[in-house]
Amino acid sequence: MSRDEGMEVSSVFLLDNQSGSMVDAELWDAITEKNLADWEADWIPQVFDMMKALKQKGVERSLWPQSRHWHWSDKVRAVEERLSNQCFSIVCDDVTQAMMITDLTRRAQLEGQKNNHLVYIDFLETAPWNRAGLIGQPSKYSGAGSILIRAAIELSKLEGFCGRIGLHSLPQSNDFYAKAGMIDLGVDVNYQNLRYFEMTPEQADEFVIKGES
Amino acid sequence: MKINVTKTWCKKMAGLEAFAEVGAGLLAIDPILNDGEPVSGKPEHFGDETRFALQRFVGLSRRSMNLSVEKLAERADIDLSELITLETDVHHLPEPRTLYQLAQVFNVSQSKLMELSGLTQPKDVHYLEEAVRYAARSESIAKLTAEEQAALDGLISVLSEK
Amino acid sequence: MAKKTMTLNLTDAEMRVLEMLCEQKQMSKTLLLRQALRLYQRVEERLEAGGKLFIEDESTKEKSEIMML
Repeated sequence: MSRDEGMEVSSVFLLDNQSGSMVDAELWDAITEKNLADWEADWIPQVFDMMKALKQKGVERSLWPQSRHWHWSDKVRAVEERLSNQCFSIVCDDVTQAMMITDLTRRAQLEGQKNNHLVYIDFLETAPWNRAGLIGQPSKYSGAGSILIRAAIELSKLEGFCGRIGLHSLPQSNDFYAKAGMIDLGVDVNYQNLRYFEMTPEQADEFVIKGES
Repeated sequence: MKINVTKTWCKKMAGLEAFAEVGAGLLAIDPILNDGEPVSGKPEHFGDETRFALQRFVGLSRRSMNLSVEKLAERADIDLSELITLETDVHHLPEPRTLYQLAQVFNVSQSKLMELSGLTQPKDVHYLEEAVRYAARSESIAKLTAEEQAALDGLISVLSEK
Repeated sequence: MAKKTMTLNLTDAEMRVLEMLCEQKQMSKTLLLRQALRLYQRVEERLEAGGKLFIEDESTKEKSEIMML
């Protein structure tokens, strides 16, 4: 999808860790050719460099960035024609900082929410320079992940799902989702043993309120 | 779809997010890092991945016996350059005799080493997957750590005559 | 996203079902029908690719094929 095909842009802010100040960014409700170009030309080379450095330092492979082999082009192409998938991206400094693909056809697993519709996050990834590294490199911007979670919640409300969201967490992100107030439904043996998390409508509201207090 | 978020919200949440790595989604098949170039996509058959397990097995076994590459080549009565290539080049298809000799020295099944190397087709891929998993657990080239020893033990149990 | 408006003619029975589902799911008619469209597209996609649609009984694990969809 190209930028002008009805894509909507929201104004958001990221924390620039070096300066300590908030900088202007944009949330796009699409993943466009521009985002994929950034992924290919900016994200991937840095992921390769990080892997080489980790390998040289002898860091255990299970600790390497876990989404390193995701092929965003393939993923986006697979969902392009579908009404059931909604993509998002965050752009700052004219560079893609994070991307997300959601699925609107899944149901809640949580007892008490069972079979209610929710927004399921298929994939969520932040740019490699926004991840604080195992080799000690500082993260450039913080906050992109939270903004995308917020976007998923807002989408859920918009579609009548009351803010419910669900996702399978990358192992290194388990703590983040737990702290965000999501419920850990445990390891999913049908999904490469990733932990499955869900947010109830109440927790979604709390997530939104949390940032304003 | 548009959202309305305030700078305050973003600031507070970014602070809470801090340096956490935020990610979600199904992990694809892990590619093996090969000369700095990650192998992308799902392998149709094993090949490089199982040869990597073979490499790991030979390297770990050699080190657990405190042997240099030269000493192992001598002990196994195999070509030194062949052994070096086997331990360093994951694309290399070793000679059947090399695997036979190594199987004797390490006391494991030659036919299983042959299957790991890609020289023969496996009848059962399950143990290949296991071997690949054990092999992936160790990466460094120094003396065997307890974890490496455990990985080696796992490999030996998978590759031994049954 | 630019929105287009459509008039939908439904029978009394269909309207009743729609209203019941909306009540059950706590969704507006528009939202519910949009969700139905998404699901329909996904099902078609799989069927066209040669898949079959089954419902599995959670307790008995028995699968029965949904032929009519």
